[in-house]
Amino acid sequence: MPYPDSLKQLIKKVEETRPERIVKKKAGEEFPALSLDDRGKVLQAFHPDVKEEGRRAIEIGPNKGYRIANEMVDLLEAKSRVNPEDVDLSNVDYETDVLVIGGGGAGTAAALLAQEQGAKVIIATKLRHGDANTMMAEGGIQAATKGWKDSPYYHYLDVMGGGHFTNKPELVETLTNEAPDVIRWLLEMGCNFSKYPDGILKTMHGGGTSRKRMHYAADITGAEMMRTVRDESRNRPDDITVIEFSPAVELILNDKGHCAGAVLYNMETAEYVVVKAKSVVMATGGSGRLHVQNFMTTNHYGATGDGIVIAYRAGVPICFLHTIQYHPTGVIFPEQAEGILITEKFRGAGANLVNVEGNQFVFEREPRDIEAACIIKECVNVNKGVPTPSGKFGIWLDSPMLDAMFGEGYVKKEFPGKHILFSRFGIDIGLEPMLIYPTLHYQNGGLEFQADSTTKIPGLFIAGEVGGGTHGENRLMGNSLLDIMVYGRISGENAGKYALNGAQDGDLSLEHVAKYNAEIEAADIDGSRIAPMLLPDYTLEHVKEKQLTANYEGTMR
Amino acid sequence: MKIGYYPGCTLKTKAKNLEDAAIKSMAALGYEMVELDRWNCCGAVYSLADDDLVHFLAPVRDLIRAHDQGFDKVVTLCSMCYNTLARANLLMRDDEVKRDALNDFMEEENDYKGEVEVVHLLNFIRDEIGWDKLRDAVKVPLEGLNFAPYYGCTLTRPEEVGIDSPKDPVVFQAFIEAIGGNIVDFPASQTCCGSYQIISNPEAAKATTLEILTSASDAKADALVLSCPLCEYNIGRRQDEIIKGNDKLENLPTFYFTQLLAIALGLPIEDLKLELNTNSTKAFLEQKGLPALA
Amino acid sequence: MSDTAVVTEEVQEVKAEMVPVYIMGKRYDVPNSLTIMKAMEYAGYQYIRGAGCRGGVCGACATVYRLPGDYHIRVGLACQTVVEPNMYLTQIPFFPANRAVYDWENIKGEAEEVFQAYPELFRCLACNACTKVCPMDVPVMDYVAAIKRGDLEKAAELSFDCIQCGLCATRCMAEMAQYHIAQMVRRINGKFIAPHSEHCHKQVEAIKSGYYTDKIKEVMELGTVDPFDDSTKTDKIDKLIELYKARETEPHTAVEDWKPESDFALLK
Repeated sequence: MPYPDSLKQLIKKVEETRPERIVKKKAGEEFPALSLDDRGKVLQAFHPDVKEEGRRAIEIGPNKGYRIANEMVDLLEAKSRVNPEDVDLSNVDYETDVLVIGGGGAGTAAALLAQEQGAKVIIATKLRHGDANTMMAEGGIQAATKGWKDSPYYHYLDVMGGGHFTNKPELVETLTNEAPDVIRWLLEMGCNFSKYPDGILKTMHGGGTSRKRMHYAADITGAEMMRTVRDESRNRPDDITVIEFSPAVELILNDKGHCAGAVLYNMETAEYVVVKAKSVVMATGGSGRLHVQNFMTTNHYGATGDGIVIAYRAGVPICFLHTIQYHPTGVIFPEQAEGILITEKFRGAGANLVNVEGNQFVFEREPRDIEAACIIKECVNVNKGVPTPSGKFGIWLDSPMLDAMFGEGYVKKEFPGKHILFSRFGIDIGLEPMLIYPTLHYQNGGLEFQADSTTKIPGLFIAGEVGGGTHGENRLMGNSLLDIMVYGRISGENAGKYALNGAQDGDLSLEHVAKYNAEIEAADIDGSRIAPMLLPDYTLEHVKEKQLTANYEGTMR
Repeated sequence: MKIGYYPGCTLKTKAKNLEDAAIKSMAALGYEMVELDRWNCCGAVYSLADDDLVHFLAPVRDLIRAHDQGFDKVVTLCSMCYNTLARANLLMRDDEVKRDALNDFMEEENDYKGEVEVVHLLNFIRDEIGWDKLRDAVKVPLEGLNFAPYYGCTLTRPEEVGIDSPKDPVVFQAFIEAIGGNIVDFPASQTCCGSYQIISNPEAAKATTLEILTSASDAKADALVLSCPLCEYNIGRRQDEIIKGNDKLENLPTFYFTQLLAIALGLPIEDLKLELNTNSTKAFLEQKGLPALA
Repeated sequence: MSDTAVVTEEVQEVKAEMVPVYIMGKRYDVPNSLTIMKAMEYAGYQYIRGAGCRGGVCGACATVYRLPGDYHIRVGLACQTVVEPNMYLTQIPFFPANRAVYDWENIKGEAEEVFQAYPELFRCLACNACTKVCPMDVPVMDYVAAIKRGDLEKAAELSFDCIQCGLCATRCMAEMAQYHIAQMVRRINGKFIAPHSEHCHKQVEAIKSGYYTDKIKEVMELGTVDPFDDSTKTDKIDKLIELYKARETEPHTAVEDWKPESDFALLK
């Protein structure tokens, strides 16, 4: 729906201050960025991560005592979906060299590289191949490809600073060193990054970058990358098999303690199937659909943190899950588009954030956690949020100022996806600003792994958002698309080599699952929960009340 | 002056020489050929089935594009495109029932009643520029060269869209005369090149092409002049195969009429895109010292 | 603290007007402010197929509907399209579509290769049903026309917003799967037609040759902070923070060939 009159009146205030803000921007006078000290203060006071009642200590597993979001603990302290004794491991349904769990960008990149080592690969994925957060990433991918003004050195510093200097150095080193090669690889595969006529890749700033190094493909960068790698995987049907609608619900180990496959759940036929593999790449992505603290999310439907749950059970520790990234700019109005991500590229291009009075209150290129905390503060503490018709508060993202600065039609041309989205609701974002509020966006932490993608379990490799440490406590924009490609490629290559050269065969086992279930019982935890969640449940109470015979396994009917 | 221009698919790839030479020549004559902003394949073949409307969608859409873009004329180069578009245009102008059905089906487009005139470039030159004026513009008259104008089927038939009388066409001859060449009249100038028979019945296509080549050679032609990429494919590109083992026939160069125009106007060799012509054609030009820069 | 943020996918208790919609022919009354996807969940459906990103880019939730008294086929993405009273709808979560397998390493980037992979291109009659059924307003017929005339660059541009939902293929009377063809064309465009990015290759070479290795090792030596162990906030970390603060930031309005004042750790 278009903006109602109440909001149209408030937009006038944005328009009143716009000319002056543009003059300042053109003169290079930015709204002052926060000092590191002030950043810390605003985070402590306003970031959802620090809300103690939102988290608790996990009572079992490798990270006993670690305080993370309740919603994640609920899953880690849950029993397996299927009784391990019921699974007949002697009856193997699929056998392969490399099993990739997750059909997003990381998993697909891994499959390609594993195949290139000579391995047969199965990709098991919960939804369709490509239904993943990769597809939704809009803004871009960081890489220091411009040697005259940038290098992995500066990229490294930016990543560390963005992560509050908590990131694991080796992971960051690999991330930033491999970045230009990832861009080269994607270009060779025919990915259409935006370029100038002379071939120089277009790059822009993201929050927390010291150099313009964020490459993009209009405003559907992730989708363009995803459809490119997916298309290539489909050129190798003899070696890469994709099994859709079949999430992994347990890892299978062998009697040597090595990872040796997974149990998949065919969500359409309700069958559990056994995949035996010489190595496994875990690439299940993030967990926005847990709706931590009831926040809305930008994540895709299947982002329920499954990989963390099943690998944790198998003994892989987690790290940095105490922080979750709230994207500062999710749509808060119109309601139908609620939670949908507005790419940071708008702010990268210079669009101001302004309050109900039309005034700036924060520099638009702070790192994401800072930006989000400042927006929450402006709404709940300063009380200068913009009231929406459904009783919430948001902040204006002044997209029309981009048209005013770079020429009429700029927004439409540079942000075609968002322009179409809003035009469906009768809003032209080249003329009217957008109303935004922070939204659950990224799982900063995850499973512990090394720069060669290995974990403490031989044969289990990690790629993408499911892993933790690369981004420390906060990821910078443009580093997740990079992460999935860098570690997707590394995990695929190493899992492929391991499968063909290093893997040791052994008897398949789900003993770790039985042990974990027993631990839950011993710890006197509510044993009614099961995990992984697989899909969120949006069934409303009025329906549930009448589902007299419906059987829910966790969230799944 | 700007003129609306419909290229056709083949002119963007295999027959780029037909297009480039036209655009450059017309520019030299003071006309900018403005390619339609949007266009699709013309349909390639005019459907003769009485109850077939679906094959008119493609050509009529092109006509609508020309109309939407504000052109009252649309110029074409390829004989097939010309024929298909011109006939579809007549249908939209004259057949009310079919016109309504097509307009109704294409409700996302503006209604069309045949307002645009479809013009082949030869006729455009004849009617808008005139042979005298063309003669004056020629800088390198192609004197002493014997050109056989090949109409094929679709330039002159059926009569209602023919660029000239199907019984006794002269426009091609007039063109050759204006650029300084000698006209070679030959009996097979309107014989079918074999067209798409080359796919379904190649032997039949080969027979008719052989007849054309023989006829032109007997009439002492130095080269054939064409306006259709399909004719060029059958007569030019497949020529070696056709005359193989036939000791009476030698290779006969083939040109698009626009290429001869470009040569006569003294345009540089790049404008001819000769790399798309046959070897014998290239050799012929080399031997004659053409093109000669103005 | 963040009261305004308490929003879930669940439908808010809004005083929305209820409207009838017919899901696969069957009537449900749903709030008129909902998208088709949320309306189906409101009605009691639980998605397995037919929902993906829920953000309008993945193509999982293509939906076809009609309104009474109107013969037009209407389309939308269930996650983006707001319900209309009396609409009757179905999602099309899957539609069979052939995709040619091609050897990318040996593709030369020519239109002829696309024609060979997808000869059905030439069955297009320009009926335009594809364009009319595209929920992203991609001019499908026009990009097919562009491919047929070998203008792959134009086709790549026209098809760029395609989310591969497959609705075009459901309606094509030439039985094409247009979106697979466009994907091949865009890849050819990206590799062969778009201008070459030499600077990227140069940087890759520099990194592989070890040009930056020492400098990065130096800064890695400064270590990292364990967020749960204050003793890890050492002098070295202070040095790291100093380096971070001292970074020269490329101005927002800087031109492409802007250079920082220091050429430390840059290609010379």
